[in-house]
Amino acid sequence: MLFPTATFAIFFIVVLPLSWLLQPRPERWRPFIIAASFVFYAGWDWRFCFLLAFSIAWNHVLALAINSRSSQRARKQFLVLALVGNLGLLGYFKYYDFFVTSTNNLFALVGLDLPLEARSILLPVGISFFTFMGIAYVVDVYRRDFTPVGFGTFAAYLSFFPHLVAGPIVRPGELIPQMSSPRDPRYVDTSRAFFLIGTGLFMKVVIANYLAANIVDEVFGAPNQHSSLEVLVGVYAYAVQIYADFFGYTNIAIGIALLLGFQFPQNFDAPYSATSISDFWRRWHMTLSRWLRDYLYIPLGGNRGGTLLTYRNLMLTMLIGGLWHGAGWTFVVWGGIHGTALCVERWWGGRPGFVERPWTRGRRAWHRFVTFQVVCFAWIFFRSDSFADAWDLIQRLFTAWGEPSPLATWGVAAAIVVGIGSQYLPRRLPLRIMARFSRLPIPAQAVVLSLALLVIHAMGPEGVAPFIYFQF
Amino acid sequence: METRERRRRRPRPRTAEGGRRLQSAGSAIVVALAGLAIALFLNAPGLHKSATIQPEGWKRDVALAVTGPLQSVSDALLLDRPRRALKSALGRSDDDEIDTAVAAPQPKPTTPVTTPETPAKPVKFTPKRKLGLWIAGDSLVIVPGESLLRAVAGNRAVAAESVDGRIASGLERPDVFNWFTHIREVMEKDKPRAVVLMFGGNDDHGFMTGIPEGREVGTFGSPSWRAEYRRRVASVMDTVTRNGAYLVWIGLPISRDADQTLRFDVINSILQTEAAKRKRRVSYLDTYFFFAGENGGFAQYIEDATGKLVKMRADDGVHFERPAGDLIAAKVLERLEEAYDFTSWRGR
Repeated sequence: MLFPTATFAIFFIVVLPLSWLLQPRPERWRPFIIAASFVFYAGWDWRFCFLLAFSIAWNHVLALAINSRSSQRARKQFLVLALVGNLGLLGYFKYYDFFVTSTNNLFALVGLDLPLEARSILLPVGISFFTFMGIAYVVDVYRRDFTPVGFGTFAAYLSFFPHLVAGPIVRPGELIPQMSSPRDPRYVDTSRAFFLIGTGLFMKVVIANYLAANIVDEVFGAPNQHSSLEVLVGVYAYAVQIYADFFGYTNIAIGIALLLGFQFPQNFDAPYSATSISDFWRRWHMTLSRWLRDYLYIPLGGNRGGTLLTYRNLMLTMLIGGLWHGAGWTFVVWGGIHGTALCVERWWGGRPGFVERPWTRGRRAWHRFVTFQVVCFAWIFFRSDSFADAWDLIQRLFTAWGEPSPLATWGVAAAIVVGIGSQYLPRRLPLRIMARFSRLPIPAQAVVLSLALLVIHAMGPEGVAPFIYFQF
Repeated sequence: METRERRRRRPRPRTAEGGRRLQSAGSAIVVALAGLAIALFLNAPGLHKSATIQPEGWKRDVALAVTGPLQSVSDALLLDRPRRALKSALGRSDDDEIDTAVAAPQPKPTTPVTTPETPAKPVKFTPKRKLGLWIAGDSLVIVPGESLLRAVAGNRAVAAESVDGRIASGLERPDVFNWFTHIREVMEKDKPRAVVLMFGGNDDHGFMTGIPEGREVGTFGSPSWRAEYRRRVASVMDTVTRNGAYLVWIGLPISRDADQTLRFDVINSILQTEAAKRKRRVSYLDTYFFFAGENGGFAQYIEDATGKLVKMRADDGVHFERPAGDLIAAKVLERLEEAYDFTSWRGR
């Protein structure tokens, strides 16, 4: 069930009032929201529901087991078991075929024919997201940062439909306390919720879909058919498309959760205005960055083991982060580019005698420009189906200047400008819009909302393409 | 103590960051419901079209039952005018139109096709006189089409811009996308001499639109269905080849779903026989066995020419992955090279 569809609208207008009606009675609200979330998830494939149910049961039982043991060794054993279950699930459904083909092809290089067979396993939507949330729960319980909650509350937390299929990755401490007590129906942040839903729909339906259909798919599909200008614009357009797509989805998810009375953490903070790659990762998919930092980078040793180990930990985190996005070597390279850039930045800033110069407007602009180019270069590998395609595209970027460029249109340029320019708007502008909206009478708010839906629906193409991050 | 207790009970401020007012859940529900309700009327023409082009089934029936009256009311109250104005301003006035006209002759199953067929000559194409190549079809054509574009990219005697692939379209549902009109327009305007088509992936069901008045079409695979589908395939082939273009029609591949494969077989047999009637100008490319495993059934991973195990088919069991596209593109190129000479200029 995709957010920008009539099916979801019908689903939500049923769930929203019922959820508020049942909120005062948590023992009724929890089964209701779990059932609603499973209906939402079954919209893709009802068989996936068993997987989600297994993940809930597995993490709940092992969190209780960890919590009930006082011996550190026993706690660790249960933690390892929980991680094996979670990663095993992810590994089987997401990486099995990748592992088999990579292994077979590696051994084929030396003439060995392994009897491993790919199984054409269907990737359950959102598995990466709810698996990471499950891991966060058991690890937090193991670290004694969090006390396990009842089955109903945990099931509601893990399956809660606004974040279920593409995040944001909400940590137990952020959402479970909200689910443990009834939400106050007198104070709902409706203006922010509608603003987020409206901007999210606009970014996804209008900007992301337009760029995908008008240049990105064409350029990445057959790069050697396009001029250097088209390839360059196509790469920038993809940078905007993936941002608009994922930012749009996250905004809608946060807005829907707000209407239900729940606060989700922010997931994006103007990432293309970042002045360095480390700054970029503080702004892009922030909930994943935090997860990788707290559950991977720091357990690996973080920056506590000296310079070389810090570089190793950074690289490992980014390589694994790349692989999390997709079962393919191109994603690993994408992670590797970011990891290398982070290491270089760390080395540069840590040189003896290095003194950070004060930010001037020009220096900031230059850093933003360079950072954006590095990010876009990495996107080439992220989007390309193979290294050969990525290489074709990079070559084409330098070898076909002056050729006709029918895809580099003013419409595409406008969509790119809107996508990037929106990240440079003054922060008080959305606050003003929301404040003004919140002061309108209720009928006027409904009219503004409907006009926004009119513009988005009329400007968007027919049909709705799936969100990019669903495949992760 | 009492004062402190009272202070604690005092409602927290009803504003959030930036001074925006927090509102009750009831207000949220009213705004959401009323906003959606008004938007339904404002967007009625688009919603009705979306309902119309859905696959056959109860969802479509319900959607049509709702959006039909909605559109009538919206039209009567002029609520659809802002949308029409906006579409017009965007240069997309036709977006909400539903065109189901099938420009095809009535079926004559017993009469052989009499379209004049010019004998294929190895017409030579060079960088100065390029071969116009047009690749079109449903979503299945996109990956092989892109492979074909890459394959001809270095050949300056071939002019091809992009793949004209339309998701969820086919020859059964001109209301979703009218290929009959579109093909005629492209052939008249761009005059490509080589055309690569792939249709049928969305046509394996019994629901057709654009059926001539007075005719009835039965379930998928019935004689009346076959006759109507054959008429449409023949129409497309004749429209493409009428002015001398050469057509390669890519057949449907084996599917993970055995029942779907059987339905694809029905479509393939029609494509094959219609192509055979026009064999000098139409070449049917059978892809079935390209993607069959060792046991003859569906296989997602297949060894390529170098013995490397590669993923040929997408996870949905129907669409192609890049290596499959490359394989099909190579075969299509072979067919095109049989009809046209667009490589000998290199030897000069």
